Amino acid sequence: MIHRECGVLKTSYGADMALYPLPIARWTVGAIGVLMFAVVPFTLHEYYLSIVNLVSIAVIGALGLNILVGYTGQISVGHGAFMSVGAYTAANFAVRLGWPFWAALPMGGLMAAAVGAVVGIPSLRIKGLYLAIATLAGQLIIEWTINHVTFISGGVQASIEVPRPALFGISIASQRQMYFFLLAFVVLAVVGTMNLMRSRVGRAFIAIRDHDIAAEIIGINIFRYKLLAFAISSFYAGVTGVLYTYYLGVANYEQFQINVSIDYLAMIIIGGLGSVLGSIFGAVFVTLLPIAIRYAMEAFGGLLFSEASVRNIIPNLRLILFGGLIIMFLVVEPEGLNRLWRNIRNYFRVWPFAY
Amino acid sequence: MRGILAVLTGLALVVGAAAPVAAQKEIVVGLQCDRTGATQTVGVNLCPGYHDYIKLVNAKGGVGGYKIRAVEIDHEYKVPQGMEAYERHKKEGAVLIGVYGTPHIYAMAQKLTEDRIPATSPGFGSAAAADGQRYPYIFPIAATYWSQGAAAVEFVKKQLGGLKGKKLAYLFFDNPAGREPIAVLEDLSAKEGFQLKTFAVPPPGVEMGAQALDIAQRYRADFVIAHLFGRSPSVSIKELKRVGYPLRKVVSFVWGSAEADIEAAGGWAVAEGYYAMQYAGVGTDFPVLNEIRAMYKQEGKEAPKEMMSTVYYNRGVLWAAIHVEAIRNALKAKPDVKITGEDVKNGFEKISGFTLGGLVPPLKITSLDHEGGGLVQIYQVKGGKFEKVTDWFSAYGDVVQKHIHEAAKK
Amino acid sequence: MAEDLGFFALLMSNGILIGLMYSLIALGFVLVYKATDAINFAQGEFVMIAGFVVVASLLAYKAPLWLAIVVGLGAMIGFGFGLERVMLRRLIGRPIIAVVMATIGLAAVLRGIGPLTWGADTKNLALPISDEPFVLGPLFVPPIQILGAAVSLAFLAAFGWFFLKSRKGIAMRAVADSQQVAMAMGINVERYFALAWAMTGVVSALGGVVWGSLLGVDVHLSLVGFKVFPVVILGGLDSVPGAILGGLIVGIVENVAAGYIDPYVGGGTKDFAPYVLMIVALMIRPYGIFGKRIIERV
Repeated sequence: MIHRECGVLKTSYGADMALYPLPIARWTVGAIGVLMFAVVPFTLHEYYLSIVNLVSIAVIGALGLNILVGYTGQISVGHGAFMSVGAYTAANFAVRLGWPFWAALPMGGLMAAAVGAVVGIPSLRIKGLYLAIATLAGQLIIEWTINHVTFISGGVQASIEVPRPALFGISIASQRQMYFFLLAFVVLAVVGTMNLMRSRVGRAFIAIRDHDIAAEIIGINIFRYKLLAFAISSFYAGVTGVLYTYYLGVANYEQFQINVSIDYLAMIIIGGLGSVLGSIFGAVFVTLLPIAIRYAMEAFGGLLFSEASVRNIIPNLRLILFGGLIIMFLVVEPEGLNRLWRNIRNYFRVWPFAY
Repeated sequence: MRGILAVLTGLALVVGAAAPVAAQKEIVVGLQCDRTGATQTVGVNLCPGYHDYIKLVNAKGGVGGYKIRAVEIDHEYKVPQGMEAYERHKKEGAVLIGVYGTPHIYAMAQKLTEDRIPATSPGFGSAAAADGQRYPYIFPIAATYWSQGAAAVEFVKKQLGGLKGKKLAYLFFDNPAGREPIAVLEDLSAKEGFQLKTFAVPPPGVEMGAQALDIAQRYRADFVIAHLFGRSPSVSIKELKRVGYPLRKVVSFVWGSAEADIEAAGGWAVAEGYYAMQYAGVGTDFPVLNEIRAMYKQEGKEAPKEMMSTVYYNRGVLWAAIHVEAIRNALKAKPDVKITGEDVKNGFEKISGFTLGGLVPPLKITSLDHEGGGLVQIYQVKGGKFEKVTDWFSAYGDVVQKHIHEAAKK
Repeated sequence: MAEDLGFFALLMSNGILIGLMYSLIALGFVLVYKATDAINFAQGEFVMIAGFVVVASLLAYKAPLWLAIVVGLGAMIGFGFGLERVMLRRLIGRPIIAVVMATIGLAAVLRGIGPLTWGADTKNLALPISDEPFVLGPLFVPPIQILGAAVSLAFLAAFGWFFLKSRKGIAMRAVADSQQVAMAMGINVERYFALAWAMTGVVSALGGVVWGSLLGVDVHLSLVGFKVFPVVILGGLDSVPGAILGGLIVGIVENVAAGYIDPYVGGGTKDFAPYVLMIVALMIRPYGIFGKRIIERV
C-alpha cells in the first residue's frame, strides 16, 4: 500500500530512467534531504555534528572501496595508502603552489587515481588472496615512500598544515560549516556512484566480478576495466583523504595506515558488498561503533566493574566487540546490513498483505 | 538473533546518550590515553598516575575551591579517535587537554588555536611547538625530542671525554617522532666534530638484528643514542647484547627508559649498564607518592600496581601536577569568574620553580618558551634498579633555539 | 675487505636463522590453507595467545617449563578445534573475502582478549638458554635463533613425512584436493578439518614459545603475523617446503636490504623489500615457487 509499485506509468525515456521512479522513493529521499540539510545541522550540538562529519568522510571512502571490491570483485587492502596519496598531493599543491582548495582537491583525486591504476596492474595476473596481498604490498610501499621522500612529506615531521577551505570568501572552519561542506560531497559521491553503476562501465565491472573469463569472451576488455575500477576507486579514496586533511587542518600519513584499510573493508562487508546503501550503512556502523561502545560501557560499566579497571576494559572490549560483530555479520548475514534493509523493504512492499 | 542484536544496540545507544551532568564548582580537564594501541604498555601505567594525582588534589579540597574532573578517553593511538575524543572533551567543557601522541598533537594544532584551548604533550613531538609565539596553545611542558637529542650528545661527551673524531650511532624508530631529532644531531655533529650514522628501525620494530650487527660489527660505534618506542627498546637491548655490544655505551631517549622495557628485555641483570633519559623523577621515594599511598591506605585499599612502574606512573603524576599548577595560576588571576582555556594558557606561562619534591624538573614556562627549559635526567640500570647518574640538565640551548626559529618561519 | 665479507656472513647467518623462525609461523598458515582452503589472517594472534598461555602458566601458576609448554599445546589444540567448529564450519563455500574478513575480525577479538585477560604489560618468557651468543669466527649466533631454526626444521621433517607417507596425511591432501571426491571415498572431511586446525594450534604453540622468548610476550607479539604473507606467497600458499624456502628468502632479503640498501635511502627498506620481491615473483610465477597451479576452467 505504502510502497506502491503498480500504477506508476512513464511516458518518456527520461522519466523511466530516473534514479527514483517510484513516488514513495521520491518522498523518502526528499524527507531525508530536508532532514539532513535543514533539521539536523540546527538542532544537534557541535559534538554530534563532528561525528556526522567523520561519518560523511567515511561514506565517500566506503563508496570508493565498494566500487572496487563489491562491484568489480577485486580485493584491495590498499585504500588507506590511496587516501594518503590524495591527502599529500592536495596539501603540497595548497602549500607549495598556493592553490585553493577547489583546485587542490581534483589534483589529489587524480594523483590517487594514477597511483591506484599502477597498484592495480598485478590484478591482471593474479586474483583473490594474492591480489589482496599485492595491494597490501602497495600500501606498505606507498607508506614508506611518503614517509621518506621529503619532497612529498614536507619534511621530517611528514605533516603538512593546510589552510581552511574557503567558499565565496567564507572560511569553512566550524563543525556546522564543515557539515554542509562535507554533506555536499557525500551527495555528489552517492549520486555519482549510482549513475556509474547504471552505466556501461558499471555493467562491465559487475560482469568482471561475476565471471571474468566470460566477460572477456563477450568482448569486455578486462585489462582496461580492471585498471579503470582501481583508478575510480582510488579517486574516491584520494578525495576522501583530501577532505579528511582539510577537516583536520593537517595531512599526516600516520592517519592512513593499514588499520584504516581494514576498517574500510569492514565497513563494506558489514554494510553489504556491491550496494551504495550498503556502503552508507557500513560507514555509519563502523564509525559509530567505538563511540557507542564507549557510551554503553560508561553507562553500564560502573555497575559491573571498579572505576579503574573499567578504563582498561573499555578499550579492549571495543576491540573484541568490533571483531566479534564482523564475524557475526559474516556468519549470520553475509550480505550485510543492506540485506537487512532489503528484507524490511520487501516486507513493506506488499504490506498490509502477507505476500 | 538479529533482533536481539538490534535491540541491544538500540538500548545501549539510548541509555548511553544520557550524558553525565556537570556538578557545580568543577573544572573539567580532558585526558587522552592509549590503553589498547601501539603504546598501551605506556598508557596503562601512565594514565593511572594522572588520575591518582587528581584524586589526591580533590581529596585535599581541590584547587581554589574547585574540584577537578579528569575525563579520559582512550584513542588507541589513532588520530580519528583522537579528534573525536577532542570534540567530546570540548562538549564536556574541558579547559585543558592532555594530548597523548605525536601525530595527534600535529592533527589538533590548528583546531586548538581556533578553539583557544591549551593542550600539553609532555614527552611527545612536536619540538617546534616549544615556540610559544608560533603555537600559543600548545605546551610541551617537558623536554622535546630536540632537547633530548642535545642532552644525549652532551652526556655522551662527558662519558667519552670529548667528541672529536668519535663515532656515534643514532638508532631510531622510523616515524616522524623518531626522525625529529636528526636535524639537531647532524648540526651538533658538525659543530663538535663527531661522525654520526643513523640506523632506522621500521615499525613495529620487533626485529632489528641487521641494524644491531651493523652498529656493533661494521660501523663499530663508540656510543649509541637510541630513540625507540613501544616494543622496540626492549628488543634493541636484547639485540645489541646478542651482538656483543656493551650496554653501558647506550643511552636511550625517554620512551625507551622504563622498568617495563628492562623487564621485557629479560630483566635487570640482562640490561645492566644501560643509560636511560628521564623527564620525570624515577622511583617510589617521593613525598607526593607517599601521599598517594597514604590516600589509598585510608580507603583500605592497596596502592595500585601501576605505581610499581614508576617511570610511566611518575610521568602521569607530573602531567597532572603541571596541569593543576596551571589551573591554580589561572584561578589566582581570575578568582570569581568561570575560567576558560585562555586563562589556563596564561596560567601555564606563569609556571616556574615547581618541583613537587624532585619529581618534576624546575621548569620555567614562559610565553616564548612552552617547553620549560628542556631539562632531563640520566639514570643507569645498576644492581637491579635505576640509579641516578646526573641531576637535571639541559644542553646546547642555542642550537635547539636555532631550530625552533627555523621551524617557526615555515 | 675481510671485514666486509665477515659482515656479509653475519647478515646471511642472521637472515637464515630469522628466516627459519618466520617459516615457523608461516607453517601454521600453510597447514590450514593446505587442508581447508581457509586463509588465516589471525596467525600472528594465534602465536600471541599461545605465548600468553605459556607465560601465564609459568608466572602465575609457577609451573615448570615443560608443563607450561604442554598446557600451551593443549590450549591451542583445543582452541583450534573450537574455532573450526564454531566459526569456520559456517563459512565453508563462501567467497574468499568472507573468510579473510572473518579471520581479520578474529584477529581483532584475540588482540582484545589477550591484554584483557592477561594484562597489558610485557612478560618475559624465560627459556633455559643463555643470552650470550655463540661465537664462530666472525659469526655471532644467538642460541634462541638456533632453537627456533631447529624447531622449524623439525616441523618440516615431521610434516613432510606426515603428508607424504602417513595415511592421515594423504587423506588430508585428498580432502584439500577435492572435498566431494574425498567424501565419496569415505573420508570424514569434517574430522580432517578439525585435525588441520589442531595441527596449526601445535605449530602456533611452539611458535609462541620461541618468538615469545625472543620478543617478550604482549599484544604486539601478534605483529609477527604480518611477516607471514611474503613468506607464503613466495613459497606457495599450500606448500610446507615452500614455507621454509620462502622464510629463508624473506629473512635473507630483509637483512641484506637493511645492511646494504638502507644506508643509501635513509632506512626502513627492510620491511618492504620482501614485498617488492613478492610482487616481482607474483608477476612471473603467481603461485609461488612450490605452489599448486590452479587451472581455471570455463
